[in-house]
Amino acid sequence: MTAPDPDDLSALDHVLVLAPYRKDATFLGRLLEEHDIRVEISTGIDDLADRLATLPGVLVATHEALTPHVLEAVASHVRSQPAWSEIPIVVLLDRASPNIRVRAELSRIWPRARHLFYQRPVTPVELVSGVQSALLARLRQRDVRDHIAREVELRRELNHRVKNILASVTSIFAMTHRGATSLEEFAEDFRGRLGALANVHSAVFHAVGENVTVQEVADLTFGPYRLTGEDRISSSGPAVMLHREAGTTLALCLHELTTNAIKYGALSKPEGRVRFEWRVSDEEPREFSISWCERDGPAVEDPAHAGYGTRYLRAALTGMFGQKPVIAFHPEGLRCEARGPLSRVNGNP
Amino acid sequence: MRILCLEDNPLIVFHIEQLIEDLGHVFAGAFESFADLKENFTGMDFDAALIDIDLADGRTGPIAAVWLSEQGVPIIFVTGQEKIAEEYCGVSLGIISKPITQPDFARKIALFSSVSR
Repeated sequence: MTAPDPDDLSALDHVLVLAPYRKDATFLGRLLEEHDIRVEISTGIDDLADRLATLPGVLVATHEALTPHVLEAVASHVRSQPAWSEIPIVVLLDRASPNIRVRAELSRIWPRARHLFYQRPVTPVELVSGVQSALLARLRQRDVRDHIAREVELRRELNHRVKNILASVTSIFAMTHRGATSLEEFAEDFRGRLGALANVHSAVFHAVGENVTVQEVADLTFGPYRLTGEDRISSSGPAVMLHREAGTTLALCLHELTTNAIKYGALSKPEGRVRFEWRVSDEEPREFSISWCERDGPAVEDPAHAGYGTRYLRAALTGMFGQKPVIAFHPEGLRCEARGPLSRVNGNP
Repeated sequence: MRILCLEDNPLIVFHIEQLIEDLGHVFAGAFESFADLKENFTGMDFDAALIDIDLADGRTGPIAAVWLSEQGVPIIFVTGQEKIAEEYCGVSLGIISKPITQPDFARKIALFSSVSR
């Protein structure tokens, strides 16, 4: 939703003219149209309600047009305005008319309208500038309307995201609880997983357009574990932009792989190393692949049953790539590879 | 019973998979979008489906629910968007609210058995 250009007169609403006598309507219409203002002319009470329903930006009425029927039709329109709306109404009075009384009366029956009174004879420049000013005020009112609509939309989206996060946290809690053998282990694992979720949330929030690169996800995951002067986890690959969900999933997967490597894998020994790489194929449709490879750690054995980490990796990478990952308990170190269409994970840069 | 899951949050898929197996059923797999489901539907073997309202291809859960029930598959919504799910109560046996709780999940899954062929 972009704000309308205030100098773009085509963004302005049209003017509805109520001037039943002589050639007033023709004259007013021509005058306003000469200044690029769109005009509709109401020919009488019969078409007034329909014309009001097309939401004119400004109403211009001569005093003598304001019959009881017209007053009531306009009053009904004014009453039914949405909260953001205060339609400007320009009334052309005569020198002879009881102006104070008319103004008081119109204020009473047309509340929440912006009244502008001119006494005839009005010079064209006065009237045109008055109507233009009223149309611009109307444009501002519509901006407010758009902002209100946007806020409603944002609140809905916020609620949706909060619910999603709570659902994610509940699932992390339930699954961590299930796998834990002690309260200490539970606390450490739960804290770690929530931390990974929080970190990627911040990274995505601060990123332009809620996209995050694979390198950023790798850095924020490995950063806390990188010892000074010694990069035991290397990461490399081309610039690939991930959308929010793919970035979050990758961060949580890398967190599981890293903590597993620290507890049981290559990073549990000083000489152990991990290489995390990703690639994008040249041929269309482009394929995105990731590879996690541990070496120089303790001898690896296939665990008797898969724990949270492995199970989560399988489920998450299958969802992210659209096909199952290969997780191999290779004797030299754990390997995890996954591949799938780039279009599934790619966020627009 | 073999239960399929339409859900785009891998953490929740993971959780649901575990809950399904705890109840002695079989997790038949998961798709993150209605498009994925349609593409892979032929040859899939499942008796029931759990469906979120918002999937990776948009608000396609309700269409997926209608589509699956036309194929005779009983479905239950698993969602935080209960209001929208309620509009489609004609095609679903029930709604499991998010965040998921085990007792609620178990109670609603039992509804599948009551209609199973």
